[in-house]
Amino acid sequence: MSQLQLNAAEDLINANERWARDVIKHDPNFFKDSATDSQRPKVLWIGCSDSRVPASVVTASMPGDIFTHTNIANQFHSFDDNVNSVLSYAVDPVGVKHVVLVGHSVCGGAQSAIQAAEQGPVEPYDPLTRWLAPLVQLVRTLDLHGLPENEAVDKVVEANIRKQVENICLSEPIVTAWATGKNVSVHGWVYDLATGRIRELVVRSPPCANASSC
Amino acid sequence: MLRATYIRGPTIFRSLFVLPSLRFPPLRNMSHRPIQTLLNANEEWAQSVVKDTPDFFARSATCQNPKILWIGCSDSRVPESIITASKPGDIFVHRNVANQFHLHDDSALSVLSFAVKEIGVEHVVLVGHTNCGGAMACIEAAKVAATNPSTSTPLTRWLSPLTALVRSLDLSACSANEALNKVVEANIIKQVDNICKSEPITTAWADPLAKKVTVHGWMYDLAEGRIKELVVRDSQA
Repeated sequence: MSQLQLNAAEDLINANERWARDVIKHDPNFFKDSATDSQRPKVLWIGCSDSRVPASVVTASMPGDIFTHTNIANQFHSFDDNVNSVLSYAVDPVGVKHVVLVGHSVCGGAQSAIQAAEQGPVEPYDPLTRWLAPLVQLVRTLDLHGLPENEAVDKVVEANIRKQVENICLSEPIVTAWATGKNVSVHGWVYDLATGRIRELVVRSPPCANASSC
Repeated sequence: MLRATYIRGPTIFRSLFVLPSLRFPPLRNMSHRPIQTLLNANEEWAQSVVKDTPDFFARSATCQNPKILWIGCSDSRVPESIITASKPGDIFVHRNVANQFHLHDDSALSVLSFAVKEIGVEHVVLVGHTNCGGAMACIEAAKVAATNPSTSTPLTRWLSPLTALVRSLDLSACSANEALNKVVEANIIKQVDNICKSEPITTAWADPLAKKVTVHGWMYDLAEGRIKELVVRDSQA
């Protein structure tokens, strides 16, 4: 490829090469160990695809720390095989102990849902409108009258996080895990883009959390 | 404390990718740290970013303009932003089990649609990796007869296209390792194919006025920490 065509994708591969060399310089066995040992992360992160919320960067984590799934507006739909298969695989065989559902301020999905809710019901006609339909429904249940836009978005973002945590707690992998005494907690977090800080909104622990059998 | 510093583009952004033995008390294993430690690490990271670039977060909150959509595996060993030394704002991300792109999956389709049409990414990178647990599971599943649909679970349904792909490959002369690598590579090529058939990409490629978007198939080698490009497709190809 000519110099003029040096592009973002090539840039990424070059950055990866530099990163890999740096890692090997500090720990020559890091990658070999990572490849031979199976992964043992304790955390599953279900977050938004937004480029400003990279799970491992904002938590200063290492490769191997966080099993990750991201989608538009950090949704957990009970009928979605994609996120359900991630959760199922994460609980068993990977064996995570914490599921963190992470929303964030200034979420484009939440903004779209607020606009869509103002327009009245439409038949979802493409993947994105179908995907956001449950969030639009949630927006309709909230009282956003008189709120400035950013406060309305914040309110939707928080309600969304709580709703998705609820969905996760009702899912088969979590219901089964809790019924069989597995110690898996579900957390709802909000990441504030303007400050870079995560705040925990809600945490749900297994019913047997305090019992000695867990 | 030893820290690795990554310099990309005009902005210096210090990644807190540091070796666990040097960052925390020697006996703490990063992969077992509790949730509170993640929150503490986030606080430390945020403070260090502000010290380095005081207006980073304020600017980041106004809009995102990533050039890349990364569709990869949920595997914890392949965190896209760490392995490419990227900073918040660089990469729009969708990760799932075995880096699938199913043409009937609203989750991945809505990400691709939003990324191409609203965000305006220029590259879609589909990234598979060695030692993929999803691929291993499909190799095992392919050895037995197809399961009864009434006993299917989200995970078996999710992996059934990959299991079908495995059945279409001749792995008879392969060692276990060779078979896994062959499946991982075939999977990457197949998912790139799917992406190129999707509505957001076919529409973008058919429209001479649309922003140029290129689709790449990448393989991340866990044992070396390196990404290799296997295939690249654009509107010309």
